[in-house]
Amino acid sequence: MEDLIESVTRGNPTEVKVVLASVALALGCYQLLLIAIGYGKLRPGFLSGRAASFSHRAIGDALAVVLVVVAVMCVSLFGFEDDATAHVIAGSALIVVLAAKVTVVRVTRGSSRALPPLGLALFALLAVTWATSAGAFLGDR
Amino acid sequence: MARQVLGSLLAAAVLVAVVIVVVTWRIGPTSTAELDAREERLEQRIEAEEEAREELEDLREDRGR
Repeated sequence: MEDLIESVTRGNPTEVKVVLASVALALGCYQLLLIAIGYGKLRPGFLSGRAASFSHRAIGDALAVVLVVVAVMCVSLFGFEDDATAHVIAGSALIVVLAAKVTVVRVTRGSSRALPPLGLALFALLAVTWATSAGAFLGDR
Repeated sequence: MARQVLGSLLAAAVLVAVVIVVVTWRIGPTSTAELDAREERLEQRIEAEEEAREELEDLREDRGR
């Protein structure tokens, strides 16, 4: 797996991971805006709640794939290092909450009251995971 | 509704493109070819500086005679 990642990223796995994680965080922010419109908390004239919810679901599917790819790259290359405890805990919790949210969406067809707190927890964990790895990497540049 | 969904997905695609450009610019060149070219430029500059210094020393020596 390590060789595959090295060859796909042309020897720049950390940089590719930072770009993907940053894309995930930006899409996470966009997802918050979309679902706020979907739940009627924001009411812009150019986007209906139904359209925003549909887009939220479509982007969420793509975002889940990006997060799993980043997690696989991270674990394959770095494992569970002792000197990155906050990142390891936040990243692991992120994957668990993501799995829980996908399960709840599939089982309840998107109508569960657990979805908003799960979504907020997912975003918070994504922000912490990004800040403790990609954010620190970009900050050093 | 289809136009609104398409617009919001297009906005997401633009957001992704902007993030990729900004983060890649922030990281800077990482490819082996670019790093080699940068190293070569640095070596050439050091060589040019050394040659200029030697010429200056030769000139001083000629004047001293």
